[in-house]
Amino acid sequence: MDSVYRAVLLDHFHNPRNKGDLDAMDRVKRGSNPRCGDEIEVGIKTDKKVLESVKFRGRGCSICLASASIMSECTTGLTVRQAQDLIRQMLAWFDDTQADAPPVTTLAAFGAVRQHPARKKCVLLAWIALDEALA
Amino acid sequence: MARVSAKATSVAPPDSVDFDAIRKDFPIFNNSAQTLHYLDSAASSQKPDCVIDTIADCYRSHYGPVHRGLYPLAESASESYEKARQTLAQFINAPSSDEVVFTRSATEAINLIASGWAGPRLRAGDEIWLSQMEHHSNFLPWQRVCRDRGASLRVIPLDSSGQLNLEKAVGLFGSKTRLIAITQVSNVLGTINPLEAIINQASRHSIPVLVDAAQSVGHMPVDVQSLNCDFLVASAHKMCGPNGIGILYGKKERLMETEPLLLGGGMVDQVQSENSLWADIPARFEAGSPNLAGALGFAAAADYIQKIGRHQIEQREQDLAASAFEVLSGIDGVTIYGPDNSQKRSGILSFNIEGFHPHDIAQIAGERGVAIRAGHHCCQPLMQHLGISSTARASFSFYNNQEDITALESAILETKKILGA
Repeated sequence: MDSVYRAVLLDHFHNPRNKGDLDAMDRVKRGSNPRCGDEIEVGIKTDKKVLESVKFRGRGCSICLASASIMSECTTGLTVRQAQDLIRQMLAWFDDTQADAPPVTTLAAFGAVRQHPARKKCVLLAWIALDEALA
Repeated sequence: MARVSAKATSVAPPDSVDFDAIRKDFPIFNNSAQTLHYLDSAASSQKPDCVIDTIADCYRSHYGPVHRGLYPLAESASESYEKARQTLAQFINAPSSDEVVFTRSATEAINLIASGWAGPRLRAGDEIWLSQMEHHSNFLPWQRVCRDRGASLRVIPLDSSGQLNLEKAVGLFGSKTRLIAITQVSNVLGTINPLEAIINQASRHSIPVLVDAAQSVGHMPVDVQSLNCDFLVASAHKMCGPNGIGILYGKKERLMETEPLLLGGGMVDQVQSENSLWADIPARFEAGSPNLAGALGFAAAADYIQKIGRHQIEQREQDLAASAFEVLSGIDGVTIYGPDNSQKRSGILSFNIEGFHPHDIAQIAGERGVAIRAGHHCCQPLMQHLGISSTARASFSFYNNQEDITALESAILETKKILGA
């Protein structure tokens, strides 16, 4: 079986980017998975409709935390509209497990996770929280 | 009715059962490409050939409607359905098979008693007691009925080793208590609750007790007469039987007090436009066409377990859990919840590894053919008591062996290697 634990994911799990205090952020939204008690908070700081900073904090499995970390990197610097588009594409990519290409190449690391529907929520928890923060 | 359990279990001492041969009764272990180390029997157990064959044979050779036809096929369907009920009555040593109701599940059985027995008789200020370790299925129905009737839901707290802390359950046997609903074995901790003592005291105060036997009835001798419980619920799929069928045992006088949950065909004596008369027990609780193949498969599972012997099964599963406890305790960073090896436990072991999420442990184990569960196991109140959000859980059945424990150990070490910093 293709392991879900790709080097990229493990790197983000061990060295999470943009993880920490959210006090200075403009908006913070919380995502939780009641099935496992995981909780991720995602904060954004915007300047003229551009995401100047995307940060997160919380507890979750390695997949959940790595996803939040990768997401923060992928979306920092995007306009709000671009970030919303990327979230749509990410959700669509997870719904269509046949589709090959990820929305951006960095997300290819989640390819194997898509074959495990039970882990979908782990990956998307941060993305959905970000979507709410952008709304 | 004959005490089958006492008879069967005295036949052979625990060491005379060939559990390696018994494992071969389960085709799933012979059919997988990768060796399957199935350690999730507390969620649902695997099925032996005799159960699978009984169900297939029912549909192939003698399937017909139960309690609805006069032709020979229908008559024999009704007869075998009632025979299955007798088998299950004997399995729990119920005085009469009329006191055994087929339900869809243990969950449905609890809902039936919450709505049909507790609902009509609860008054404002009354109390229903349960424990902090209950599965949501033995929590939510009581929560709702208490809320609807203005009654209080009271919870027996646990001590640090996951045992009931009865001293802190002030008022448990008090005059306000209308029912105690409690599990015999915790599906997370493997704790075996001292039900005899609780029921003894409850009955001195005329307090009925419902026993959730979902995790016990296929794993240790369970006798409703010696327990003296008022209600007991169990499901087939956790004891080698099929999905979608369970039983409710109730003392006759309690079932006579219970309103049916489902209304429909087969549960009435007389239907008139304004009033109807319920059929006698147990038919009044079995509206709709009965699950014949389910009942036969359930009975076949009970016979199979009875043949092995529940004392033997209990010993085997406790030995496996004790061995796993030893192995897991030896791994750095592993915390095991619930009783330690000096206390009696069932074959259920919940644990965490410091710094790692149970999802990751279960995923990596799964990739190596080791099937364990991760999550809150439908026991959020217990997770709150433990101060955690989830655990990994290995649950053993008599068909498991030492190799499964070794595979679990390797999977845990592998998790630490893959995810370790």
